Amino acid sequence: MLTINNLHARVEDTPILKGLNLQIGPGEVHAIMGPNGSGKSTLASVLAGREDYEVTAGSVDFDGTDLLELDASDRAREGLFLAFQYPVEIPGVSNLNFMKAAVNAKREHQGLEPIAAKDFLAMVKEKSALVELDGRLRDRSVNEGFSGGEKKRNEIFQMAMLEPKLAVLDETDSGLDIDALRIVSEGVNAMRNAGRSFLVITHYQRLLDHIVPDFVHVLSDGQIVKSGPKELALELEAKGYDWIKEPVA
Amino acid sequence: MAGANDIATQKAQDFVAGLTGSGTTGLSALAEAGRAALADLPVPTRKSERWKYSPITAMLASPVKVAPAPQAWPEDVPINPVPGLDAYRVVLVNGHVVPEACDLPVADGVVCMAMSQAVAAGLIGAGDEDWTGYHSREWIGAVNAAHAQDGLYLSLESGTSLDRPVVVHHHVTGQDVASCPRHRILLGANSQAEVVLWTSAAEGTSGMVNGVLEGRVGPGARLGVDKVQHEHGVLFHLAHEHVTQDKDSTFRIHTVTVKGHWVRNELNVLQQGSGAHTIMHGAYLPKGNEHVDNHTTMDHTVPHCTSSELYKGILYGTSTGVFNGKVFVREDAQLTNAYQQNANIVADAGASINAKPELEIYADDVKCSHGCTVGQFDEEALFYLKSRGIGDRAARALMVQAFIGDVLEGFGSEEVATEVEELLAARHSWM
Repeated sequence: MLTINNLHARVEDTPILKGLNLQIGPGEVHAIMGPNGSGKSTLASVLAGREDYEVTAGSVDFDGTDLLELDASDRAREGLFLAFQYPVEIPGVSNLNFMKAAVNAKREHQGLEPIAAKDFLAMVKEKSALVELDGRLRDRSVNEGFSGGEKKRNEIFQMAMLEPKLAVLDETDSGLDIDALRIVSEGVNAMRNAGRSFLVITHYQRLLDHIVPDFVHVLSDGQIVKSGPKELALELEAKGYDWIKEPVA
Repeated sequence: MAGANDIATQKAQDFVAGLTGSGTTGLSALAEAGRAALADLPVPTRKSERWKYSPITAMLASPVKVAPAPQAWPEDVPINPVPGLDAYRVVLVNGHVVPEACDLPVADGVVCMAMSQAVAAGLIGAGDEDWTGYHSREWIGAVNAAHAQDGLYLSLESGTSLDRPVVVHHHVTGQDVASCPRHRILLGANSQAEVVLWTSAAEGTSGMVNGVLEGRVGPGARLGVDKVQHEHGVLFHLAHEHVTQDKDSTFRIHTVTVKGHWVRNELNVLQQGSGAHTIMHGAYLPKGNEHVDNHTTMDHTVPHCTSSELYKGILYGTSTGVFNGKVFVREDAQLTNAYQQNANIVADAGASINAKPELEIYADDVKCSHGCTVGQFDEEALFYLKSRGIGDRAARALMVQAFIGDVLEGFGSEEVATEVEELLAARHSWM
């Protein structure tokens, strides 16, 4: 699904990713943990195509496509989804118009007709129920006036609407209370299937109690320094990051 | 050596001397007064604060002439600029009314005709030609008066209302053409009217439009104006509107510059009866090297009045914009509630906006709020939209429509709103 090979990226003159390697197979859930400043959010941004980041070396193969050659909207149309750490408020753009434009952009990319209004509304109803946002999106602007929890649930709603091949969740658990964490996690779990992969970026092990990963990686100073099964997250929670110093050989 | 002002004055004198041809309105006393005033009034230059950001130097450089009356309405121009709008019509070409193309209401208590007819019928008495003394106060006003042409004359008796809007379609065509239309709207107590003021100009047109509209909204009356400028060619358009409101009246105006090479809209509203309410919306989206200036004055002189002003602009290319919004709350205007908002997006590095809210408040028990912003497109929001698969152009279009949307709400006619949105969408490749 995703093969990252020797990825280097920088913001302005500051190198942040320094030779990152990662392979994610279809249907797998990978968690990336690591201390502040290790490059977790940079990885998410580079994958999604944020222009402030410059890739200086390496490659990213996304299901047979050279991801780095595509702009952000084409990456999304190819099936990549980024759940933002800080979802953006866009006053005046309605949630539903926004999602309709997004759904139709993807359909056009796939050579399909725009979605019928009735089908779209049925889809909204079904997917918003998944994250308990039913009836709360209509007549409201994108994320405007949403609580922190509602914004994160809206991210998962959008993911459900767009049915990506690979979803990158960038600290989706930050700022969530226990209930919102449960709702968001259940939304993600409901979408897990054999063809869809997830990259879950988080500081804390508690999210991984809800979204149980197949693999856990530790990112430090722009490289994956340790990988292991889900139990690695518990070990990190207990010991912190300091005991991991050097990259894996 | 002559100073800059002398050069400007000389250019202005040459411009005025070349501006031959007279209107057909029959407002001869006004024309004479205008000509006399031209000799004394200072020519607007950058030295005057009011004209600092909208110099008329380029206009004065090309002589213009008042065109003779056309034989007919040009065949290739739709008479009704708003498809599907069921409306009465007063149509002008280069400042001349084309009677065959007009469609005037006939009803008790309604007088709606060409200004020239109203003058001929004696409806405009001596000393009543210029309600605000504009011709004796402003050089531009004197130019209009000296060459005053035709326009709309609408007068409603108390308690009458027009069943359909009146579209005043002024089409400008030809080169180095001067048009000086004059309109007057007079609403009696509790009467109601909607007017669409539409200016169009053909490709290749050049010259000046220098128009005046005088309005009086009587007690309890309601006047709505949808004003649209959609002008091809190289036209310098100076528009001056002055509306006086009586007790409990409502005046609403939406001013949208869809396209215009150089536009200056001066809108002055005077509330002189308590309980009056004013709504002023404006939108400007200049491209290329276009220039759009909106100068508004909201004058609250009596208690218990409200005003709500919202102007938004998006400036592309190397275009320039001006928003100057003056709000007076006079000493007697207690319990005024005045709101003014001006927001701008400078979309390209070469574009600029000069935005200037000006509030002068002399009463102590009032509520006045105002805000003025100048910014760029929110890159984070654009990235958010793109990260969902929406292309760059569509994402920008969504953002623009979201930004400008609330200004475009509240037009008198749905059809006008739709047409304006479609013209803007076509011009800016939205959707």
